[in-house]
Amino acid sequence: MTAAASMTIATAEDLARRGVVGAAVAACHEALAIDDRDARVHALIAHLMLEGDFYDEAIAAATRAIETDPDCSPAYLALGLAYDRRGGMWDQSVLVWHELAEVEPDLVTAHVQLGEAFAAAAFEEEALESWQRALELDPTEARATYNLAIASLKREGMALALPLFRKAGELDPSQDELFFALAGAAEDVPPPADPAEVGPTREVRCAAALASLRAEDLFGAADFVRLVLDEDADDAEALALAAYAYLKQQAYNEAMACSLKALSVAPTLPTALYSLGVVYARRPGLDRHAARVFITLARQAGAHALVHVLLAESLLGLQRYEQAGKAYRSAVRLDPACVRARFGLAAAHLTAGRHAEAQWEISRAAYYDTKRQGLFWRLYDAYAAGGERP
Amino acid sequence: MTAEEAQNLYRSFVDHDPASAIQVVERVRASGVTQDALFDTLYVPAMAFLGGAWAAGEIDEMAFTQAAVVAEQVGSFVMPSAARRDTGVTLVAGTMHRDHHAIGRTIVVATLKEAGYRVNDLGDDVRPSDFLERIEQTGARIVLVFAEMMATARAVVRVREMLLANGRDDVVVLVGGGPFVADAALARDVGANGVIGGAESALKLVARAARDLAASAEDGS
Repeated sequence: MTAAASMTIATAEDLARRGVVGAAVAACHEALAIDDRDARVHALIAHLMLEGDFYDEAIAAATRAIETDPDCSPAYLALGLAYDRRGGMWDQSVLVWHELAEVEPDLVTAHVQLGEAFAAAAFEEEALESWQRALELDPTEARATYNLAIASLKREGMALALPLFRKAGELDPSQDELFFALAGAAEDVPPPADPAEVGPTREVRCAAALASLRAEDLFGAADFVRLVLDEDADDAEALALAAYAYLKQQAYNEAMACSLKALSVAPTLPTALYSLGVVYARRPGLDRHAARVFITLARQAGAHALVHVLLAESLLGLQRYEQAGKAYRSAVRLDPACVRARFGLAAAHLTAGRHAEAQWEISRAAYYDTKRQGLFWRLYDAYAAGGERP
Repeated sequence: MTAEEAQNLYRSFVDHDPASAIQVVERVRASGVTQDALFDTLYVPAMAFLGGAWAAGEIDEMAFTQAAVVAEQVGSFVMPSAARRDTGVTLVAGTMHRDHHAIGRTIVVATLKEAGYRVNDLGDDVRPSDFLERIEQTGARIVLVFAEMMATARAVVRVREMLLANGRDDVVVLVGGGPFVADAALARDVGANGVIGGAESALKLVARAARDLAASAEDGS
């Protein structure tokens, strides 16, 4: 590769990473004018076309990349996503995801996507196998679990699907982030290195407890909470922090006791409502209670998409599918990239027989999930590092 | 009285005495508090007392954990019933002959079962005579017929014809599936009494049909 070509590709990559799509495409074509047999550049064009929703162009560029180098994994990703988002090309999509799973056998997303392509083509058994394979590779893969929940809904109904939706939700770290957002925790505050140096005021101790919780130092957090409660046993915020610490240890009764006490002092405290709602949602027979708590939470903190998701899930348990659909739609409006809301909305659509809409939500979830993971760039960088053509 | 009993329940938790806790629950139940109300009126305040005692340092961490274990043991006595009560209403459901679309029916049937209906699900590819036979066997007076293709949707009329031919004009026929949702006139043409638009719509329609049938039975008696 010439120095000029290398430099042009580097420019195109830099522009693409910064989202300057038009200039990046121009730089790619400039690179192709020097050497039109570089699979990387074709893959990059495919990615950029996909970003702009130009599916046919993305398919053409990705196909060219694969023709040039059949091991070009980022091109398979772009091609599969383009097929899925274009719609009506499930047979090709199955082939592409299968190829990607061959080229990158440990790539969990390839198996998840392959399962979704199988499901869209009505190969339910093969879809289940693909998601199981994804979970073998990574038991915390939320999207595979969401897909299993949808499959369970189709086969057995909501009562059996809902626990899977909740399990997938628990795998999703954004639920923890919701608690910290409700508590007003700053993201970049580290837990105190030496607890003895934490100041003696309530605010400083609560902040230290929160930072410790975020760092998953539950015992450290408990120590700070105890100091606050020793001075004021009715401190609702400290009680809510204790409830969350217990929740994280799956000590649900202790979490319930602390959050109920907190709410007896401050009836609309969002952090306490969150912990109590989550405890109720995990107990069979308490969906109505969970819904009541999450409705109150939605009134207090309705700007958070996940609050609406939690409410929607409790409504699903009450067979209030239309209301659940509305809550999911609120979540999607607030955060279009919320995979959990997209899958939930797909479930709500399925209960009303709206299969096409359900499929669309699942494909949007795939789009946002791969984007959130930065999967294209991971594959691209790995390919660029190891895929230097002779 | 219940506030006092909530305090008693809390004491039983702290004393690690599940037998006494259950006695409190039974006493409150005997006083007329329904199963669905026990959780809110008794258990929730007792748990709030427990949280308060821990916060105030009246009980230490170990006692709190042990009390929570007793609370767990008592939980099943105060939880609202997860399963809905049996409605006593029997339904027959199935997808029309030559139609193998199962998803919509499966979701609706599971929802109705969960809501306490006795659903006889005949599966897919069901002949009109099979609907009639199961209606006769079970005494069902509501039948849910699903069809996802135009040809099978039109064929639902044969179910109604077979019911009429056998003197079963008292059976309510509810239809579900894309063709009926898209064209309400089609449902009328095949002799349906209503169109199921999905699981929640099925709950509403079946409840209304069951109410109407019960009312007409009372009028007739």
